[in-house]
Amino acid sequence: MELRRASSTTIDGLPVHGGTEVVPLLRAGLLHAETLVDIRGVVPRDIAPGRIGGGATLAQLECDPEIPDVLREACRLAASPQLRNMGSLAGNLLQSTRCWYWRLNWPCRLHGGDECFARDGEHREHAIYANDFCASAHPSDVAAALLALDATVRTTTRELPLAELYRLPTEDDRRTTTLEPSEVILEVTFDECDRSVYLKAMERKRWAFPLVGVAAVRRAGETRVALAGAAPIPWLLAEGLDDATPLPRNAYKVDVARALVKRARATIGA
Amino acid sequence: MARLIRTEKEVEGRYEEVWLVVEEDSLDQWPAGPREIVGRDAVRLDGRERATGQAVYTADLVKPGMLHTAVLRSPHPRARVASIDLAPALASPGVHAAIGPGDIEQLTGDCTYQGTAVAAVCADTLAHARTALRAIACEFEVLEPLLDPDEAVRRGSLLGQPRERSRGDYERGLAEADVVVEAEFRTQVVLHNSMETHQAVVEWIADGIEVHISTQYIWGIRDAVAQGLGLPPDKVRIVCHYMGGGFGSKNGPDDYTFIAAELAKRTHRPVKCALTRREENTAAGNRNATIQRLTVGARSDGTLTALGGEFVNAVGWDGWSSGTEGPMQMLYACPNVKTTTYGAKLNLPPMKAFRAPGFVEGTFGLEALLDELASKLDLDPLELRRRNHTAEAPEGNEYSGKNLLECYRRAEPHWERRHEVRARSTDTVKRGVGMASQIWYGGGGPPSYAWIRVGSDGRATVVTAMQDIGTGTKTAMAQIAAEELGIPLDHVTVTLGDSDRGPYAAISAGSSTTPSMGPAVRAAAADAREQIEDIAEQRGLKGASVADVVDVLEDSQILGKGARGPNPAGMQVLTFGVQVAEVAVDIETGEVWVERIAAVHDVGRVINPLGASSQIEGGIIQGIGHTLSEERLHDPATGRLLTTTLDAYKLPTIADVPEIVSELVDEPDLHLTNLGSKGLGEPPIIPTAAAIANAIRDATGADVRRLPISREEMLRALREAEARQKEKVGAPAGV
Repeated sequence: MELRRASSTTIDGLPVHGGTEVVPLLRAGLLHAETLVDIRGVVPRDIAPGRIGGGATLAQLECDPEIPDVLREACRLAASPQLRNMGSLAGNLLQSTRCWYWRLNWPCRLHGGDECFARDGEHREHAIYANDFCASAHPSDVAAALLALDATVRTTTRELPLAELYRLPTEDDRRTTTLEPSEVILEVTFDECDRSVYLKAMERKRWAFPLVGVAAVRRAGETRVALAGAAPIPWLLAEGLDDATPLPRNAYKVDVARALVKRARATIGA
Repeated sequence: MARLIRTEKEVEGRYEEVWLVVEEDSLDQWPAGPREIVGRDAVRLDGRERATGQAVYTADLVKPGMLHTAVLRSPHPRARVASIDLAPALASPGVHAAIGPGDIEQLTGDCTYQGTAVAAVCADTLAHARTALRAIACEFEVLEPLLDPDEAVRRGSLLGQPRERSRGDYERGLAEADVVVEAEFRTQVVLHNSMETHQAVVEWIADGIEVHISTQYIWGIRDAVAQGLGLPPDKVRIVCHYMGGGFGSKNGPDDYTFIAAELAKRTHRPVKCALTRREENTAAGNRNATIQRLTVGARSDGTLTALGGEFVNAVGWDGWSSGTEGPMQMLYACPNVKTTTYGAKLNLPPMKAFRAPGFVEGTFGLEALLDELASKLDLDPLELRRRNHTAEAPEGNEYSGKNLLECYRRAEPHWERRHEVRARSTDTVKRGVGMASQIWYGGGGPPSYAWIRVGSDGRATVVTAMQDIGTGTKTAMAQIAAEELGIPLDHVTVTLGDSDRGPYAAISAGSSTTPSMGPAVRAAAADAREQIEDIAEQRGLKGASVADVVDVLEDSQILGKGARGPNPAGMQVLTFGVQVAEVAVDIETGEVWVERIAAVHDVGRVINPLGASSQIEGGIIQGIGHTLSEERLHDPATGRLLTTTLDAYKLPTIADVPEIVSELVDEPDLHLTNLGSKGLGEPPIIPTAAAIANAIRDATGADVRRLPISREEMLRALREAEARQKEKVGAPAGV
């Protein structure tokens, strides 16, 4: 495997930034590449009000007073200090699920197979929404925060609402993002908000992916709530949680989400 | 004089009869309390080496020309190797040798658990070995695994005979009870996760073999390797200077040592075989799951009349059925006790001893059950324990020493905090305090030996082929020698970790290193001290310091030797303690966190209070992981493991660690050796889970019955408690 430094945003190979996700996936045989392209030199990493370079690390964001609470807290509660020092905002948005069947390379639907092993198997950390085809849960705290912020993503080829960066896997197309192979996220933008909050339930105090993450944003009298760890992609909550479709062993996540949503709404005065 | 005796030897709660030659333990114990050096804080002698990376662990060892190994392990819980071709691996770059099923006993095509070793490759780099391993063409015929422990018991798939233990008349005891409480408890599989994975570096030298290995038992490895390879034991040298954690999982040579030995023989090179983290968490042992169906009967004043239980240890394919019923049999004065313990043989990776195997699980069940009883009887849980305290061992033998009541007394100030802790509850966060008692072995035993040499510079070296598995026993041995010789601690060096350089030393398991080795070291130091006193008398220097007495000796050395004496005949040597946990429960989200744990343990004389507090803290932290977050999961249909990496298997982080207050009774056990010291490795992990579960009940009224206490379990227990409450309130008056 060859490692090359990118000289422009035209990437010929597998882009790698902090490497906190790509390297473990390569080592586990879940990603394959002839060439790794280090994009740290070409992806912006500046932080301005309402505008964040895709290369900004989570560690930068978690202590920046310009960053809305929801995003700052989502960063602070993610991973460990070491990982946050390396991991980039854009990379965090593109994380793969932590579904153990997927990570162990079982021939599941997300890997192109014809079975979701989690649905009948161990699924206590899995999706409570949109889990019919594939019960994997999206692990990104940051993505839920940006979804609640109704952020826009600028890539090397286009601009799109963050919600459109993600897609639910289907029989015909098993991908969970709409990003093209050589497309790279350069920047994320969002409008100012009045109040916001991120609450997270995990299996220990730190360094765990969300069982449920709740991002809530209040802007001009409107409230937007998004969930992490609740569906195969970051999930925008429509109403309450009554329309959730939990599996036999993860119904507790609905209770947890309900409690956190209530608290998040109360915190931002919704 | 040497004396031949037939005695019972106990390791991890298992007894066996052995012949031993013991030397009389003629030294009187030191008076209770801190001495000049013993009983006072000492920092680790090798702390700096360990912290700065100078300490060479087996994992760090690189020998010239050393080859690296990758092992093909069955990904299936039950399978037969239908065909295997090693040729592509042998043709792979950098490969020196490849072995497969039948080449050695440890490699097999009959896979009875995930992780069964099938084949192995060694190459000049680990990357080459792994690439070659992937080239092996191996086809598995997958067979139906047996995974359910109750099903295994029904089918008679058992390890050993079911263990029936009974005293008194259980049925009558139940009939005499005013209140009977029944409950089923379940505990999960947890993984040792030693920082240094299991590994060995093996080299054939002349007509013998040298094995560097991360182990808890140098001499056990020596015998097992000698036997496995058909060598005289004195041709086998075992080295382990530093050890990165074992917790019970590194008592034997396992498959990797023999794989390295065979590959080293074939290649005429030193060969390292080191488990990866995933292999470690698959094939290196675990604390097995248990199912405990328990019953307690008591009079309304709390006096226990009957205790009974059916215990199913989900052992896995191999190992043993540990004493999960032990606490129920041993902890209280109950006259009528009846237990049956099954060891279910399953197509799951074999268990290994894990820090108080059986007693951690059994104490969770028993002590949570006792608090359910206390709650029913509206009795103070600590008072309930006091009422059922026993001064005499219920199974017959006398205790060599027991200060459990003193532990309870010292726990009182911590227990009294419960009113103030509860008062800090809010609408959504409930706080409470719980306690649990601890009983365990930890007396160690003979044989164990030490030598000591004192030079004319007044400095001493203790020589013994024991291991320090990271607990700080090396420092404790130096303290004992320095105390006995009357020289400063920094004038003592301890040489250990090499079977060619020192006499036999006991296993570091069953909380036994200090109580087994300490008396031998003291005896050796006393032997040298007596010789020095003789010299002092001849020089007219009676009462002078060691340095002043020996300063003219030039190259002469004073050599002392010492042996561990016998354990007190007809007595049970046990450790006791109590822990008090303060927890908070978010009743809406099911989150549980521990805010404080106070631990009071009775392990006889304490050699190094600083080291002892580290042991207590480590045990409690490991206990918190066991209680709240750790669980090895397998897929229910196929039995394949799902949580072998450290992102999926959740050890506690430093943020999960509460305030820990540790206290030791520090009374020498007057019947036990020249030190009166017992071991402390295991006791601190034993009561932690039960204390936390009982604190949860105190905070919320909910009975948690399953480890780990996940949010799912916590919310289930809360719902159940709420329904119970409604039923109570809704019941028609007078019924």
